[in-house]
Amino acid sequence: MSWLNVEDKIAGCKWIPELSSNQGLLYKQIVKGYSVTHTCEILEQQPITDNIYRMRIKAGEIVRSARPGQFVNIRITSGIDPLLRRPFSIHRIDSDKGEIVLLYRVIGRGTELMSKMPPGNSVDIMGPLGNGFNIQFPFDHAVIVAGGMGSAPVFFLMDELRKSDKKITLLWGAREGVEIFQENELRDQGIDLQIATENSSKGYSGFVTDLLEIYLSKHKDGHACSGFVCGPECMIKKVQEIILSCDFQWQASLEERMACGVGVCLGCAILNRKKGLQMVCKEGPVFNLREIQFNG
Amino acid sequence: MVDLSVKIGSLKLKNPVLTASGTFGYGRDYDDYLNIDQLGGIVTKTITLKPREGNPMPRIAETPAGMLNSIGLSNVGVDAYLAEKLPKLKKIDTAVIANVAGETLEEYGKIVRLIQAHPRIDGIEINISCPNVNQGGIAFGTDPEIIAQLVRIVRQETEKPIIIKLTPNVTDISEVALAAQESGADAVSCMNTLRGMGIDIDTKRPLLHNIVGGLSGPAVKPVALAKVYDTVQALRIPVIGIGGIMTWKDAVEFFLAGATAIQVGTLNFVDPSGSIKIINGLKSYCMEKQIDKITDLIGGMIESAKF
Repeated sequence: MSWLNVEDKIAGCKWIPELSSNQGLLYKQIVKGYSVTHTCEILEQQPITDNIYRMRIKAGEIVRSARPGQFVNIRITSGIDPLLRRPFSIHRIDSDKGEIVLLYRVIGRGTELMSKMPPGNSVDIMGPLGNGFNIQFPFDHAVIVAGGMGSAPVFFLMDELRKSDKKITLLWGAREGVEIFQENELRDQGIDLQIATENSSKGYSGFVTDLLEIYLSKHKDGHACSGFVCGPECMIKKVQEIILSCDFQWQASLEERMACGVGVCLGCAILNRKKGLQMVCKEGPVFNLREIQFNG
Repeated sequence: MVDLSVKIGSLKLKNPVLTASGTFGYGRDYDDYLNIDQLGGIVTKTITLKPREGNPMPRIAETPAGMLNSIGLSNVGVDAYLAEKLPKLKKIDTAVIANVAGETLEEYGKIVRLIQAHPRIDGIEINISCPNVNQGGIAFGTDPEIIAQLVRIVRQETEKPIIIKLTPNVTDISEVALAAQESGADAVSCMNTLRGMGIDIDTKRPLLHNIVGGLSGPAVKPVALAKVYDTVQALRIPVIGIGGIMTWKDAVEFFLAGATAIQVGTLNFVDPSGSIKIINGLKSYCMEKQIDKITDLIGGMIESAKF
């Protein structure tokens, strides 16, 4: 055992190097089970479009317990600006290699800085956080609606669904066609993929919620189906209206500004029609869609 | 061995590092991230007589080296606090300070009466400085006359240490601090958040639904340090320093300015074990500087910038 990180030593925590890859080390805490935060090595930064990136990170500890729909809270800098962590849903995991993949769009200074972090650098990650999608109940067919960066957690979800041989319909909406990727792989996997783009550059011209209306009108029998939705609030709100007459369960993964990521700062509250005030980070980010009370 | 213990009135703390109200839940939320027994104490989330949902979203936003919040005292209410939250603190080995707020002077008295006898409560911090509620809060914290009345009311209800949490949003903080001291407060904590706001220039909308909120984080540290210094000059009771403390070095500055203890707030969101790092850093600093007791550091600034 060796003491490798002064900061962590100061925190009163004992760490052992668990595995080493190149110059990056992953530490595992062995005293009293504090999960603390993980120092993880960036393995790859791959641009998908001019502002969407895929980031692969060595994170064995996180992979071990991650479930689809959960997120990680990343400290972009060890300094004080930008101050707060940034939440990202887990896009995919590789259990064998102990890697997680994040898919993110550069929308501000934090993500801008993140996109410029080269492989080999380390990031400070808290997670996995929140409650993921529930897929441990009997159903045969998953109907998934993804919009914009809402596609990120959906890939992890589909990977898990395929393990139990669920039939998958993915309705995927984006601003433009270049934001839709891996179409061929998805179709090869037997996924019924339908695309909508707002600028008419690929698939249906319009909103993905239109695709859902068309889909539900053609498939009246929702027997053994289960719905999943992830995307911007306006889209989820629309889906909530559309599924009023739909007789199967829908789970929605929400996005919200957050600070702590663990239910302490109370910054990401939503109103649950049945359960009252809930925090997106702690009680979510996945909720029963019918229970969410949207404002206005 | 460095003696880190300090006293806030009759309350002895094993070390001078506490977690600030509103940044540490009701005490057990960060159990996975740190050993709470190592802290000098915790100040629990502000409670009110009735449960409160708080303000509409968005109610947090990031600013350069800081954050704005307008949570609006979202809390479970005093009944659930006593029945559900305090029992969970039974076994922890650190001081527990309850933080309370009311909409009227009578409500402050009532809530202190309801909780003060609880064996797990070691002290009570009175929130007269929340910038995000319409009634009570900051309205009480800016008027020395009202503060004096309020402190007399809560003082009658309890023998336990009373800490008055001051707002920086006043012209002269020593005036309000003196009013608290002369009416029977055991200590003051300085400071709550600074009024602040931000605007999204693309949407032309405020960052917070409430438009104005409270600014915290490292951006406010120099302001907090000056408020602590001013307050310490005016008072003989202990001052607890709060405002943007991110490292043990920040903490040392507050002690040198005269703070008897400090509270760590926004840092908890960024690094949940940051408060423990501060305690260990203070220990190392004292050892290196051959300071036997942390109390020797308090007010130790040499009042001449020239070497």
